[in-house]
Amino acid sequence: MNNRLLVIEDNEQNLYLMQFLLQKSGFEVVAAEDGIAGLDLALQCDPLAILLDIQLPKMNGFAVAAELRRHRRLDRVPIIAVTSYAMVGDREQILASGATGYIEKPINPETFVAEIKSYLPEGLEAADDWTPHPRCRR
Amino acid sequence: MLSAPCSTPFVRRVAAFVLALGFLFVSPSLLAASSPIVAVGVHEAPPKISFDAHGRPTGIYVELLDEIARQEGWRLQYVVGSWPENLDRLERGEIDLIADIALTAERRQHYAFPRVPVLSSWFQVFASKRQNIHSLRELDGKRILVLERSVQEQAFIRLAERFGLNPILLSVPNYPTMFAMIANGEADAIITNRYQGKWGARKYGLNDTEVLFEPNALYYAAAKGDPKHLLAAIDRHLLAWKEDQGSLYYDALKRLADEDASSALSPWLAIAGSGLLGFLLISIAIGVFLKHRVNVRTQELQQENAERRALQQRFMDIIEFLPDPTFVVDEHKRVIAWNQACEAMTGVKKDQVMGQGDYVYADAFFGHRRPTLVDLLDRPDPPAETSYTQLDRRENRIYAETFFSSPLTGQTRYLWAVASPLYDQDGRRSGAIEAIRDISEQRKMAEAVRASEREYRELVTLANSIIVRWQPDGRLTFLNEFGQRFFGYAASELIGRNVIGTLVPEVGSDGRDLKGMMAELTRAPHQFERSLNENMRRNGERVWVDWTNKVVTDAKGEMREILSIGSDITERIQAEEQIRLLNEDLRRHAETLEQRVAERTAELAAINEEQRAIFESASAGILLAKERIIQRCNRKLETMTGYDPGELVGQSARILYPDEDAFIRFGQEMSARLASGETCSMEQPIVRKDGSLFWARLSMCASDTHAPFKGVVGIIEDITAEREATEQLRQALEAAREADRVKSIFLASMSHELRTPLNSIIGFTGIMSQGLAGPLNPEQHKQLGMVQKSARHLLALINDVLDISKINADQLELVAREFALRPSIEKTVKLIAPLAEEKGIELRVDIADEVGKIVTDQRRLEQVMLNLLNNAVKFTEQGWVGIVCRQEGEGYLLTVTDTGIGIRADEIPRLFKPFYQIDSGLARKHEGSGLGLSISKKIVEMMGGDIGLSSEWGQGSSFTVRLPGRSQEETA
Repeated sequence: MNNRLLVIEDNEQNLYLMQFLLQKSGFEVVAAEDGIAGLDLALQCDPLAILLDIQLPKMNGFAVAAELRRHRRLDRVPIIAVTSYAMVGDREQILASGATGYIEKPINPETFVAEIKSYLPEGLEAADDWTPHPRCRR
Repeated sequence: MLSAPCSTPFVRRVAAFVLALGFLFVSPSLLAASSPIVAVGVHEAPPKISFDAHGRPTGIYVELLDEIARQEGWRLQYVVGSWPENLDRLERGEIDLIADIALTAERRQHYAFPRVPVLSSWFQVFASKRQNIHSLRELDGKRILVLERSVQEQAFIRLAERFGLNPILLSVPNYPTMFAMIANGEADAIITNRYQGKWGARKYGLNDTEVLFEPNALYYAAAKGDPKHLLAAIDRHLLAWKEDQGSLYYDALKRLADEDASSALSPWLAIAGSGLLGFLLISIAIGVFLKHRVNVRTQELQQENAERRALQQRFMDIIEFLPDPTFVVDEHKRVIAWNQACEAMTGVKKDQVMGQGDYVYADAFFGHRRPTLVDLLDRPDPPAETSYTQLDRRENRIYAETFFSSPLTGQTRYLWAVASPLYDQDGRRSGAIEAIRDISEQRKMAEAVRASEREYRELVTLANSIIVRWQPDGRLTFLNEFGQRFFGYAASELIGRNVIGTLVPEVGSDGRDLKGMMAELTRAPHQFERSLNENMRRNGERVWVDWTNKVVTDAKGEMREILSIGSDITERIQAEEQIRLLNEDLRRHAETLEQRVAERTAELAAINEEQRAIFESASAGILLAKERIIQRCNRKLETMTGYDPGELVGQSARILYPDEDAFIRFGQEMSARLASGETCSMEQPIVRKDGSLFWARLSMCASDTHAPFKGVVGIIEDITAEREATEQLRQALEAAREADRVKSIFLASMSHELRTPLNSIIGFTGIMSQGLAGPLNPEQHKQLGMVQKSARHLLALINDVLDISKINADQLELVAREFALRPSIEKTVKLIAPLAEEKGIELRVDIADEVGKIVTDQRRLEQVMLNLLNNAVKFTEQGWVGIVCRQEGEGYLLTVTDTGIGIRADEIPRLFKPFYQIDSGLARKHEGSGLGLSISKKIVEMMGGDIGLSSEWGQGSSFTVRLPGRSQEETA
């Protein structure tokens, strides 16, 4: 049972912020800075959950969530959209694309980790028919 | 081939060949050793499988397998081939393992898979830089390369079907071909998994597109049933390696991910390789010596076989070439040839019948299995023979005709067929051949000719016209039955006699000499193609006949005979004469009548002149119409529509309408109104003579309301200028609205951009004040608190701007759901408590017991309550702030009361306007955007409630929100 979270976020400061908070709480964080790299790591790192920004280079968060949800094995990983995207319907659209939850930026550092934890499933078994990324041990 | 320097392909091919030979010849000599030989199929799939300068495979699959083999004591033989070749080899059991294979249900039927995969990845489309491809849709019609018989081929076909795309999918047997083709511009994109795609993208400058699909795991696979028990060992090693981050497996993964799949060979590996090469060469020499004789004999047999096959092939080619459907059976009546024409006629494909007996060929023609011509060659079969309309045996052949109703297409054809026995060179029966020809067309044509002859004969003999044929010298050769009855002659009395003096009288009833008439006709036949002639019956009676004469010429163009067809018009000629006499009488009466009309007209003209003056001087177009035909119109209408004077009169009013629809629509409207005596008025584009349009107002009324059918009077005014003004006004309004909307969208997106950096400002100050990044001294803590407070304030301002711009752009949406109101109020009060405490203001909460659930947007309602409470605390220096909640009918009443400065009566109306704050100006004491109340009002209204206030200057204020129990969003 790992405690790895995948964070897909292209803003360096925001990525560092989330990484800092999550690592402080004992999570292992793997980061991707664009949508396609994020999909690769989702497959190869078997994360407990995926924190997903919406505005991303190469492939946006809506498409990433939709692609993850299309496949067995990846379709049960919680996806938590973390975004300052605030136009009408964004929340509905990302949830419709397959996200499990939605945290609006700016995040509150005091409650952020607790919010993330509330989305994590209990007793998830690590998959053994998928292979790791060199950065992620099984 | 592309991963190694230029000189290596040859070396590598030789090495690969040697390895393959090694597999074929060395195996027996090694059987003595106890270590099992494992033949592994590899294909070039860089960077996962490449080949070094000596043709030895490298890459993660090889490295891992080498290590497993070392520990398990296997001897590995790598067999190089294309992907489809290796799949076939594994299926035939020629090799034991294959590397880099994705698992599918279908493949599980043919191969054995271990439990643990080696790699996982996505499939992705990589496009040539020349093509600007970024999304799936852009692949429509593009040439896309994919590995033959691969999982990605099937996956992509499914994907393309789902999105209704038609890419041109080109299957290639290996990756080197694929990369060479895309590099040469022979294709637009390739599909690979990401390992190879990223490698190729770097090497050949391909774009990685956003088209990513189907994650997949890649394995080793063994031959079906895993006869050498290899998979359990592979699983064991892989599992152990995956647990250990320092293992060989992780090293290999890292190199793969770093994507510097080097093909360079380490020196010790080169030495080991050449040692192995030497050993192999010696083994080969022994193998070759032992196998020599066997090979010679094998070659002889192969030679003979080849000649026989060539001969047979030639024979097959001839049959195939024949235009008639032809098939051949052997002595056991099994089909050995079935040509294309056969396929085309029956729709039955060669491979459905080849090699089969049991009358399978009859199935194609008759829809069931039964003896046919090739069977009747050997013995007669009366029941079978009855299905042929003609059956003819000549020498040893059978010729037959039959109907054929295609069991597949349902078409019916008439067929002619011939069957002949075939003999071998010793004169023994070796089979039979049958050829079939579709003669439906010939039969149809012959039938048509017969029918046409019959019809012609009937036409001539039974026609109700006189038909005569005569020679250029005037002698008659034919007169049909009707002609005989009409003239009173029997054919025998007339044939051979001259026309003049028999059918044509010598002198006409008007005294004209008709003797030369026939000579004139033969001299200039074209002038007489149609002629009215006086003729004579046998009894001398004169008749009039309308003749059509046709000259028949021979091949040289000489006149051979004349064919004349005539009808009796005697009665018509008589009737015409009578009509002429009657007309004469009538003309005389009419003259007196006209005289009287002219007198009356002169009287009316004087009256008309006065009306015309009015009519012509009107500023609008006027017309009089009857049954929608313009009877009169004034000059104004003509100039308005661009017609010349008088041109419109007599025209249908249709020419004034731009299309048929408008014309009919107005007509229906008009007839409904006019009948009830109303005036029908409509605005309608009218078309000028030059085709241009102008807007006009049409007003029509019946000229006599008691009899609308008598005609209508129409007034037509040009309202172009009037309409243009209205249109300009509308456009200006539209432009203003659009500008407003664009501005609001801009504001909303700006607010988003502003919030991104704020995220890290608020986040990091939060982290630091919590001491998560290390301890702070009191001063640092205080200053950081100020940064945080300012950032939060900035965020609140941005949120307000975002909200108001959403409201202005009509983009604010509420999401209603049911929740308990009490905890929601309590939560909001808790948020405001620190601020109140800081100012020393008491917070009073009073929620009635009956307050329960509400259906509305919780987040927005809390925003409204927070705004009201915040304002109350902000504008109150001492005393208390209270919130009261009561049930009111189906809904609730929320009141926020304070003991603050209050609001002057004249300020109240402006209070809910955006950007408004009571103490505006430089001396403004209270911070805030001034948008809060305006936003709150809008939100409450969207929830179907309202917001009001009572206040007394200096005494405090009381805001009251009235909410329905269910918001309109929900109930709508």
